[in-house]
Amino acid sequence: MSYLHDLAVFLAAVTLTYFAALNLIYLAFTAIAWRSLVEHLRARGHAPDDEVFTSPVTPPVSVLVPAYNEGPTIVESVHSLLSLRYPQHEVIVVNDGSSDDTLERLKTEFDLVPVRKALRFLLPTAPIRGAYVSRRHRNLWIVDKENGGKSDALNAAVNASRYPYVCAIDADAILEEDALLRVARPIIDEPEVVVAAGGIVRIANGCRIDHGRVLDVRLPRSRLATLQVLEYFRAFLIGRVGWSRMNALLSISGAFGMFRRSLVETVGGYSRDTVGEDIELVVKLHRHMRERDERYRIEFVPDPVCWTEAPETLAQLSRQRRRWHRGLGETLWRHKPLAGNPRYGWLGTAAVPYFLFFEFVGPVIELLGLPAILVWWIFGELSVLFLVGFFVVAVLLGILLSLAALTLEEHSFRRHREGREIARLIGFSLVENIGYRQLLAFWRFVAFFDLARGRNDWGEMNRKGFATIKEAPLPPT
Amino acid sequence: MTVNVDPPLVLVADDDPDILDLVRYRLERSGYAVATATDGAEAVRLAGELDPALAVLDVMMPALNGFEATRALRDDPQTARIPVILLTTKAQEEDVQEGFASGADDYLRKPFSPRELSARVQAILGRR
Amino acid sequence: MLEALGIAALTLAVLSTIFLVALVLRRTSVAREERRRLQAERRLRSLALDIVGGEEIDVSGLATEELAILAEVIGRLSRNLSGDARRRISAYFAGTSAFATELRSLGDRRAWRRATAAYRLGDMACDDAVPRLIRSLNDRDADVRSATARSLGRLQAHEATEPLLLSLVVGVVPRAIAFRAILDIGATALPGLHRLARSSDAAVRAGAIELIGWLGDASDAELLVGAMNDSAAEVRARAAGALGRLAEDEGATALTDALDDRIYFVRLHAARALGQVGEREAVPRLLQQAREDRFEAARAAAEAISRIDPQALLAAAELPDAGPHLHEAADLLKA
Repeated sequence: MSYLHDLAVFLAAVTLTYFAALNLIYLAFTAIAWRSLVEHLRARGHAPDDEVFTSPVTPPVSVLVPAYNEGPTIVESVHSLLSLRYPQHEVIVVNDGSSDDTLERLKTEFDLVPVRKALRFLLPTAPIRGAYVSRRHRNLWIVDKENGGKSDALNAAVNASRYPYVCAIDADAILEEDALLRVARPIIDEPEVVVAAGGIVRIANGCRIDHGRVLDVRLPRSRLATLQVLEYFRAFLIGRVGWSRMNALLSISGAFGMFRRSLVETVGGYSRDTVGEDIELVVKLHRHMRERDERYRIEFVPDPVCWTEAPETLAQLSRQRRRWHRGLGETLWRHKPLAGNPRYGWLGTAAVPYFLFFEFVGPVIELLGLPAILVWWIFGELSVLFLVGFFVVAVLLGILLSLAALTLEEHSFRRHREGREIARLIGFSLVENIGYRQLLAFWRFVAFFDLARGRNDWGEMNRKGFATIKEAPLPPT
Repeated sequence: MTVNVDPPLVLVADDDPDILDLVRYRLERSGYAVATATDGAEAVRLAGELDPALAVLDVMMPALNGFEATRALRDDPQTARIPVILLTTKAQEEDVQEGFASGADDYLRKPFSPRELSARVQAILGRR
Repeated sequence: MLEALGIAALTLAVLSTIFLVALVLRRTSVAREERRRLQAERRLRSLALDIVGGEEIDVSGLATEELAILAEVIGRLSRNLSGDARRRISAYFAGTSAFATELRSLGDRRAWRRATAAYRLGDMACDDAVPRLIRSLNDRDADVRSATARSLGRLQAHEATEPLLLSLVVGVVPRAIAFRAILDIGATALPGLHRLARSSDAAVRAGAIELIGWLGDASDAELLVGAMNDSAAEVRARAAGALGRLAEDEGATALTDALDDRIYFVRLHAARALGQVGEREAVPRLLQQAREDRFEAARAAAEAISRIDPQALLAAAELPDAGPHLHEAADLLKA
């Protein structure tokens, strides 16, 4: 009996400490993010994107698009990628053995013609069936290959790319017109030092989209999606700005990131045996550069650049979060030597341990801690007042952090123009802390078992295709 | 009182509103009527509808860039004879050549002098 | 313990409320100010266009804030302008106290103020700012240096050519910005670049050579041909690139010889340049490079042949030992 008691006390203590530490970390990051964003905005005022656009030394970029069964959306996506504002770029779509009409649609729409394209075979991939170029858009290439998974497709695209920088993008993500310009900016400013840069992903549900461009930013109608919007602000904006400052950015969103191609090739490209291939690549890059003792940076670009469809059902969200968590675990496991290792700078001493303890193991603590505290209370060693007080504090802190993130976004980018939307977000920040977070913790907890069982699949997400508006009638001249 | 002939119409296309304002200001004071477009596709469409005497096109525009728009104008018999002046920031040899290859009649580098642009417009229209 | 928690809870509640209030207040105040500003800008825009267009305008009736907005609009317009329009802008600002204020602010304690001042001085088009700006290239803040470089370019300050290139090489100003600034300065930068092309530092030579390729003309070909024999590979490669950009036949022999260079990226740039120059005599040598050399150099050679002599390319691609690059280039020609 006393074992149970001691265990409960121990767990409860760990949980309380965990929450306290976590929230303090969040607070610190929020403060860092504030400063960083203010500086970033000021700097951007002085150097508008147009100058990057028209500069002759802006390096050309290969945009890599792995595509598997993207039939409904592929044509629209490619059009929007082709019309990105950038002085020189090519678009390489890799048809990863789709079983639908992805390739046919591309052939029809873009007037494709087969070409014996010379490929570098630095990164091993599944067999290539052929390559095509668009007669109308000479910078659009299609590589057709047998199915091998997303990493495999990306590696094939790297093999086919022409330019010194590559930008990997999900086929269903929507990029802002200036996305390449903005994400390339840190690289252009310091090409010797900055080896990779990533943008933030925003949630497109509810936004008005036409021809692959986001016209109008609106909150989703779905409550679940709205919660994710808030979460993205708090987690992405705040977290990544902070880590980027310490050159310990663990993840450039898989939906959108730019890399120096030669380095990607050197570290072996995207790993095919993990679902978290995007974070894994970034960690590999960090590790490679640090082991070589070379001066480098991997930057996070906070400007809104990339939009994606967020899952709107619990089932889809659960699959997504479990997959993310598995990916995180696999990456952390693969790069164990980094944990706590000062050789890897802040990445080793701060980021990896943080992600290991607070993000990876954290959900376990969150879930087990609660019953533990209850048990402790049952034993009468905890007054109800304390318990209630603790929870009130925890929730309030959570709300404070959400609000801080909101204010930050509001101050910086003002994408959500309607006051009503802000009010809705504020309301949801309450819900986020009571219920949503716990649900996420649960799924991430489940992910442990997924890992144990060796689940390696991606799961499907229904492709709704993006809702488009009809073309507006011409204004009378 | 003599009847005024309609002033010649110049179509100006640029996604930068400052450029549109500057060019329109100068051309209107030089005696031209001005229609504006903010991207290449709109420019081609308006050219077909309004039949301008001349088109001034920025090279770096969304939808269709200046070169593509010029080619589009040349490809359509209705608009093929409209003279085109390209405004370009990138002035390296290849781009100028591509400009002429696409069918433009003249080009002007940015930053530009509105007076010089007006002079070139006058020169081209005076020849016709 | 409990009191501590209670206080913590209270503090947090208060902080949360403050944030909420800040959010709301800021939202409304920013929206209002933006609307006001836009209206003012619209009103003043036609005034700005008049001033830029050469009309005599009396601005004494404007409030200070309006003057500031006017200055901003004119400054923004000035970025697109050259020639007499820009001279008028310069004259306008020289007459106002705004110029003196910004010049003074180059010495402000706060880095962001210095950067803003450096930036605005470029827009104001007054050459008097140049000496002071050149000094600011050594500012300890990166943004100030960038803004300064940009403005020196806008002012076409040829006397800043050498400090700008040096700052590029050393890395205190981002390459893109310094490069662009020197391009903006234009042909008057060439004398300075010629001097730097003889520097003892290979990186400086390389940077100067590259810029000569952008700004120069046929008379610079001789210098570039000489640089093709430089001891540093980087310089040779840039010289090749520059010769290609100038597209002068004078460089053809040197470029063809460079196809035998030890360093592959020199071969790559030489091949590309030969394509731009259009040197038919180099085709046999290029064919060999397209078949045998490393990936990037081979591809550059194939593309060069595609430009110089399409028929030769198509013929060579039919041969058994053609290799992937000739095949690709041929297929692209036929597409």
